[in-house]
Amino acid sequence: MSPAVQFYASSLAILFGINLIAVWGLDLQYGVSGIFNFAYIVFQSAGAYTAGLFALHPAAYYQMNETYIGGLNMPFPIPLLAATAAGALLAIPLYLIGIRRLRGDYQAMAMLVLSLIATAFADAQVNLVNGPTGISFVPKPLAAQLPLTFLGYQWAYLGFVAVITLIVFWITRSIVSSPFGRVLRAVRDSETAAASLGRRVSRARLTVFVLGGGLAGLSGGLLMQYVTAWSPSSWLYPETFLFLTVIVVGGTANLAGNALGTLLVPILIIEGTRFLPQIGYPGLIDSLDWVVIGLVMLAFLWFRPQGLLPERRRSWVTFLPGGRRSLGDLLRPRRAVPLPGEAGTEG
Amino acid sequence: MSLIPGIIAFGLYSACLLAIGAVGFTLQFGITNVLNLAYGSILTGAMFVDYAIGQGIPNIWFGILLGAVSGALISVLFGRFIVMPYVRRGTSLVAMAMVTIGVALVIQYTLESIQGPFVYSYQVAHQTTVRFAGVTMSEEQLIIIGAALVLMAAVHALLQYTRLGLAMRATAVHPGLARSCGVSTERVRFTAWLVSGALCGISGVLLGISTGSFNSVTGGPFFITLVVAAIIGGVGKPYGAMIGALVIGLVSEAAAAVISPDYKNIVAWVILIVVLIVRPQGIFAEFASRRELIG
Repeated sequence: MSPAVQFYASSLAILFGINLIAVWGLDLQYGVSGIFNFAYIVFQSAGAYTAGLFALHPAAYYQMNETYIGGLNMPFPIPLLAATAAGALLAIPLYLIGIRRLRGDYQAMAMLVLSLIATAFADAQVNLVNGPTGISFVPKPLAAQLPLTFLGYQWAYLGFVAVITLIVFWITRSIVSSPFGRVLRAVRDSETAAASLGRRVSRARLTVFVLGGGLAGLSGGLLMQYVTAWSPSSWLYPETFLFLTVIVVGGTANLAGNALGTLLVPILIIEGTRFLPQIGYPGLIDSLDWVVIGLVMLAFLWFRPQGLLPERRRSWVTFLPGGRRSLGDLLRPRRAVPLPGEAGTEG
Repeated sequence: MSLIPGIIAFGLYSACLLAIGAVGFTLQFGITNVLNLAYGSILTGAMFVDYAIGQGIPNIWFGILLGAVSGALISVLFGRFIVMPYVRRGTSLVAMAMVTIGVALVIQYTLESIQGPFVYSYQVAHQTTVRFAGVTMSEEQLIIIGAALVLMAAVHALLQYTRLGLAMRATAVHPGLARSCGVSTERVRFTAWLVSGALCGISGVLLGISTGSFNSVTGGPFFITLVVAAIIGGVGKPYGAMIGALVIGLVSEAAAAVISPDYKNIVAWVILIVVLIVRPQGIFAEFASRRELIG
């Protein structure tokens, strides 16, 4: 393989791993637990900024008139650990504000607004993370210590991302198939039923929100230390919809489905078209990519709302709300039918 | 202290600009129960349609009319040919939000690929100014305030003094019961998309006139601000949206005058967080949690 092809292939693989970690985190919240986190990109971004601020030297060191807090210049694993912690900790206040007491589509609205607030704040408050320009030249982990060529480092980073992805896979699968995972699915399918069986609905939701936030933070940290630059334009709110499209395409609450979706949407559509010959003005292909993503989302919600690889049926469930007969059936959304006695309760 | 008349005047002006869009958004949400995240894109779409047809809008009244017609048309088509089929197919509440996002992405990025790297601006013909109590406002700004007041009065009249308005209010409270009392929810739904689209288009054109220049992303932050106004007032409540717009308008102008214009939007959005923490009435999970989608 020529060096250019090697570089392209390895960066696609690295981005696949990083995106997949983020998608698993979001699907824990969305697919498994039914939480609508339309601010997911903020968690990834918090991780990215944290990793950057932990890895960089203080702003004065570079003499580039940048202004940001931190600049702790910490060695290799610490920025990534801090990124994970940042995503997880951010989840607590956002949960209390936007998720705890709101129903699904209000959650979506509140989180969307929070996502815009975060971007606008990072833009306006220049001394925090260098405003609209963002931070750059973040050192890659161990780049100075390892005796590797540019391409060699690329492959080494891919190996590192692959190991992390496998660990995350193992963790996520353990969560999904554990008793806690059953509680999460119960909360998603019927909050009332889960609560009446003594499950702590709010605590389960908060836990999964923190777990998902941590995975987003980790993926943000990995992304930051790979691309080495991050600014408010890297995390505009449509990026969250990119992850949601992945989940809708691949299949909700299905780890393999998430992987398939990641391969198809961010890698094939966004990254795969990056080296097409330029048509029109610069950036036209990027805009058209997003048109395609919107159409893909619409097409899947119409033809195959359960995704390419639907959630597998885990147990017999005979009575579920809305006259549905199984968990699989529950995933095929249908018109909400009020339970007997519940009609007319709204005011 | 000389700041105060300015804050009040421009706060009122921002509030009027916001109220038109916020009432349209909340009216449609209250009746159809579909969270329409494509509203911002429809707003931007109307702005562009006007630009293309009106050739830069020589006359503000013609612009408002064109905005109303184009917004209403896009909105009714969107409601009839996208939202209704999905709802009839049994798409869930939240999946409907994703459908509208999909449409929003398609509209926004189609506009972006048509516009290219350019910025557009309406050529408003006259720019006479009026001075009052130490505040200078342009004639366009006064017209916008007047138009908003007239539109709010019209929405009020529609909801309170017509049979259709009664049917709309009934449908918003309980669609099933309204239907069994002989209300044609079909017609109500159509009216909701029509009126909200017209208000959406008007607010798009007025936003374009007010900001001076615009492109495909101008509608985004404005849309979020009007959603905030709607949530503060209790989603689905037109009068609440008017109050919400007034609060946001005054507070954000005060923030722009006192802190920095960069913080105008941020402060408006932070009000939402405060409201969600302190007084989440109207957005409590219990409210409207079993509402039926009207397709």
